[in-house]
Amino acid sequence: MENYPFSENSINSSIAFRSLVNATSYPGRTFQINKLNKPSVLSNAAATILVTLCDNESNVYLSKEYNTEEVRNWLIFNTGAIISNKKNADFVIGTWKSLLPLNEFKIGVPEYPERSATLIIEETKYKKVKCNIDGPGIKNKLNIDLPNPELFIENNNLYPLGLDFYFTNDLEILSIPRSTKINIIKSEH
Amino acid sequence: MNEMSKNENLDIQIYNFAYLDENTKRMIRRALLKALCIPGYQVPFSSREMPMPYGWGTGGIQVTSACLIPKDILKVIDQGADDTTNAVSIRKFFQKTANVAVTEKTSDASLIQTRHRIPETKLKEKQILVYQVPIPEPLRFLEPRETETRKMHALSEYGLMYVKLYEDIAKHGHIETAYAYPVKTNGNYVTDPSPIPKFDNPKMNNSPAIQLFGAGREQRIYAIPPYTNVKSLDFEDYPFEAMKANFKCSICGSSDSYLDEIIVSDDGKRSYICSDTDYCKEQTKLNSKKED
Repeated sequence: MENYPFSENSINSSIAFRSLVNATSYPGRTFQINKLNKPSVLSNAAATILVTLCDNESNVYLSKEYNTEEVRNWLIFNTGAIISNKKNADFVIGTWKSLLPLNEFKIGVPEYPERSATLIIEETKYKKVKCNIDGPGIKNKLNIDLPNPELFIENNNLYPLGLDFYFTNDLEILSIPRSTKINIIKSEH
Repeated sequence: MNEMSKNENLDIQIYNFAYLDENTKRMIRRALLKALCIPGYQVPFSSREMPMPYGWGTGGIQVTSACLIPKDILKVIDQGADDTTNAVSIRKFFQKTANVAVTEKTSDASLIQTRHRIPETKLKEKQILVYQVPIPEPLRFLEPRETETRKMHALSEYGLMYVKLYEDIAKHGHIETAYAYPVKTNGNYVTDPSPIPKFDNPKMNNSPAIQLFGAGREQRIYAIPPYTNVKSLDFEDYPFEAMKANFKCSICGSSDSYLDEIIVSDDGKRSYICSDTDYCKEQTKLNSKKED
């Protein structure tokens, strides 16, 4: 039993989901996730998103670093998810660099904008650009660091279509949904 | 199985936490997150049969079930009241299936399920308000075909809705719609606020709380994230007006809360009382403190 991701499935997954609701509702703010049993290469936060949301209807794309036997076996055994290519993926996991370019992922169609990919970005070792974000869920404009902000601006321009992002780092999660508007802060020198 | 064996000596029915099975919750949870990413857009979901009839909040109860955590303090209201049949039975349902704490106090609740009202007390960050929705499609009475309304939303083609409001003005001199008054969410989708009185519409705008909507029979979930622009549709020369009966509550004396009209005698004498029972109690308490 102790090898299952959650010690008490329905209780732990409900708490995990609440963190996801809060993160998605308040973009740009960091929320905490609890520890779980997972393959060492995955962060607790990323693993939590996968086991809380995926089932046998979910297509998951694993970028090169994450496409290991251990991760595949863990994911398929615990969720029944389908390992998929970029084009069909509902959930995508990888480091920022490994997922570029973003234009291969599905962004939904005008009649069904929800048929789009959710990207889980692992690690924070990317080149950071200071940005200012605004939009639904953000009370006063927030300053955060993003990789390649021009891609997030492009994504927001597709609204109501587009990709939804979760940044995961160990026990932390932060979301940038398609509705978030991004302004690059120009450095003053 | 663990749960079962722990409780095998107890003479009670055992449920999965908050009633729904984990696979159903996953499906609802995916829909809820996409709904939060696309404010006001109705996400289809495969609604389950619930142990109550359609029209009694089967959508709201599924959303609540997918969101509840053991630490939650749950409040359920029906037309603002905590003590009416619908509210009492839904509250009992989650006490039994999720063993969560319950309250009637808006400010103490972490999750509020509501039928047709928004509480008068200002909501806070991270509070979740779950609406029970009968007809989630604001264009449905104007255009019965789902294929068409879907296209109209995709193209932001809302001329028909404005014609309806205009016809109201032409016929009655003002916009006649008094409840389920359509709003535009985040400047994009026209959304049905569920049959709340239009008095409550301004409370949806820029609310710090998370607003989730569940329509069980119609199989739709949608959401309004916190701090989102929610504008009631109107015209420059006929601006939106939040309306209520122009009386005072005969219990607490409040003149700014939404009032229900009640008939108090056989000869049709009328009286007005707050529709929000918790707010009315709070006001009564405040009044008696002032008198002391």
